[in-house]
Amino acid sequence: MDPSEVEFLAEKEMVKIIPNFSLDKIYLIGGDLGPFNPGLPVDVPVWLALNLKQRQKCRIVPPEWMDVEKLEEMRELERKEDTFTPVPSPYYMELTKLLLNHASDNIPKADEIRTLVKDIWDTRIAKLRLSADSFISQQEAHAKLDNLTLMEINTIRSLLLDSLNCMFKLRSNLQPGSSKGQFMDY
Amino acid sequence: MRYENLVFKYSALFHCDQIQYTLVPVTGWQDLGTAFLEHKEQFRYFVLINCGANVDLLEMLQPDDDSIFFICDTHRPVDVVNVYNDTQIKLLIKQDDDLGVPSYDDIFRDDDDEEGDDSGNESDEGSEPSGKRRRFDEYLVLLILSTMTELMLMFHLFHRREILFDYEQYEYHGTSAAMMFFELAWVLTKDTKDMLWWAVIGLTDQWVHDKITHMKYVTDIATMQRHVSRHNHRNEDEENSLSIDCMRISFEYDLRLTLYQHWSLYESICNSCYTSCSFKLWTLNGQKKLQEFLADMGLPLKQVRQKFNSMDMSIKENLRDVIEESSNKYGMKDIRIQTFGVHFGFKNRFLASDMVHAAAALLESAEKDESNSDNFIKALDALSRSNLERLHSGIDLAKKKLMAVQQTVASCICTNLILSQGPFLYCYLMEGTPDVKLFSKPMALTLLCKYLLKAFVHSTRNKRCRLLPLIMAAPKDVDKGTVIVVGIPPESETSDKKNFFGRAFEKAAESTSSRTLHDHFDTSSKFIYNICSILHPL
Repeated sequence: MDPSEVEFLAEKEMVKIIPNFSLDKIYLIGGDLGPFNPGLPVDVPVWLALNLKQRQKCRIVPPEWMDVEKLEEMRELERKEDTFTPVPSPYYMELTKLLLNHASDNIPKADEIRTLVKDIWDTRIAKLRLSADSFISQQEAHAKLDNLTLMEINTIRSLLLDSLNCMFKLRSNLQPGSSKGQFMDY
Repeated sequence: MRYENLVFKYSALFHCDQIQYTLVPVTGWQDLGTAFLEHKEQFRYFVLINCGANVDLLEMLQPDDDSIFFICDTHRPVDVVNVYNDTQIKLLIKQDDDLGVPSYDDIFRDDDDEEGDDSGNESDEGSEPSGKRRRFDEYLVLLILSTMTELMLMFHLFHRREILFDYEQYEYHGTSAAMMFFELAWVLTKDTKDMLWWAVIGLTDQWVHDKITHMKYVTDIATMQRHVSRHNHRNEDEENSLSIDCMRISFEYDLRLTLYQHWSLYESICNSCYTSCSFKLWTLNGQKKLQEFLADMGLPLKQVRQKFNSMDMSIKENLRDVIEESSNKYGMKDIRIQTFGVHFGFKNRFLASDMVHAAAALLESAEKDESNSDNFIKALDALSRSNLERLHSGIDLAKKKLMAVQQTVASCICTNLILSQGPFLYCYLMEGTPDVKLFSKPMALTLLCKYLLKAFVHSTRNKRCRLLPLIMAAPKDVDKGTVIVVGIPPESETSDKKNFFGRAFEKAAESTSSRTLHDHFDTSSKFIYNICSILHPL
């Protein structure tokens, strides 16, 4: 999967906005939205929120988890634990990037939030790498990882699968009298 | 000219409401006519930005009856037909801008019979209710006056001609169109910081190119300052500080040294008109004075010749105050000017005048393969914050242009190329002059002309010459043998920036029957095929 595809999926998440226009309820394939009244908060998908923001028709309200103190606590927890801690949102990385790129004037202390989210991401990816490394070197058959998000899985997916494939081929070629069709050119 | 920032704002407004539009940059009346002919079938509404107010638009373009024109133009005087036309022409003008338009009755006459020479273009007039609003042509065939009505008519017409002459004699500029559009956006509550910044750039462009008086500049700056404070207080307070990437506009009482933050301080002082003319840097004495000035401020030469960003912090901290103090000693009382600066991200700090110079340099860059529209798009790009490379390349071009201007000024003064032709001063740039290609464009040539006049006034001892206007000619197209001519009013502290050369050039062209192309919207620059004609006294 491409990271942009993951971002596309992330855009379906709901976020709160405060519009400055009024519109009746709209009926879209994915569900109903609205009605929109100026000054009253309403929940919309992120893709719509960003489009409206770029047309200067709304103000985006940052999600509850996007707060400096909460993120600091999460970061500390993540650093202490060996396993993965629960994430604020299954798409926290993508949402942070999208909202901070397009609506940083609506989000207080945007720079600190960016740094904190990056710290959390780095810690988790480091744990993931460690775990993948031990998985391969100890030749485990299966592993259980909780609380991983799609973006993180996506970063390791191709590497892990290809390396496991390679290992399998190498190992099966070590055994004498191997069956046909195992010599493949790379 | 200042089309870029207005166009930006206009497109921003249109984008908000998802209105489809086509953008056509034009460089002169001919371009405007061609563009209009190309598009007139498809469109009903035309918005003219910074062109079209000072000429009779309906007569020039011959539009259909249902075409409507919205004109936002700073060129004054506004043609009287445009002012009094109710149906097809809508002017966007600030209320306090004093137009001084003569009253309707003085110019037009509701009369059934008309005397005089009806030009062939009465067809649009014919569509309006007959007998109510007719326009009399200026050029009348003189008939023998026998009746009172005819006498009265003659008086009226002479009076009218006088009024119109007074009204149209001097050309000047009104409030920046960029500011007009910003106010429009503000009224519609669609104003953003970006638009505010573009309005500031529009205003600064008027000041940099000497189109408005100092008073007007200061007044308009005060207006902009109100908007800037309003935007700055909107989002920011102590606890919730904004991201560094957000755009911040701040009021600066900054130095009048062009591009100094993107150059070295030394180069900036040498190439800014104000300092170069005050020190007379084309003379040896002037250079010595400059060294004294730098020593007086305690700035080591090594530091001053370095790129500004690499100068020591300790020097940069109080630089403005130190320079102001020393400048006062050397007779430069106005080294600081009120302006605005923008700052987004950690690296990007620009003053409004930096952006003006960059955009102007890009707009008139003299590369062979680029058409005027390409240059326009590049300049437009540079003003948006997303294309900083373009902006930096614009700043580099502006530096080259300024250096070329200074060198040309120095050589003109040292070799006495400025001749006094009686009522005016005259200078002609020969074809072999270095960088003469840069000066084949009206804005660059006008800039050179103004700097040259300032420098001349500072260097000459002849008191009478100081009060004369300057006409400058430069080759426009070497292959075709055309020349571009610019005229500017005399240099004075209290100048009201009104330029009479538009009409003067037209008269001169007629009286010498030379082939001229009065193509530019700013009527004080023209092309002339035969340069000798301009030496005829006006």
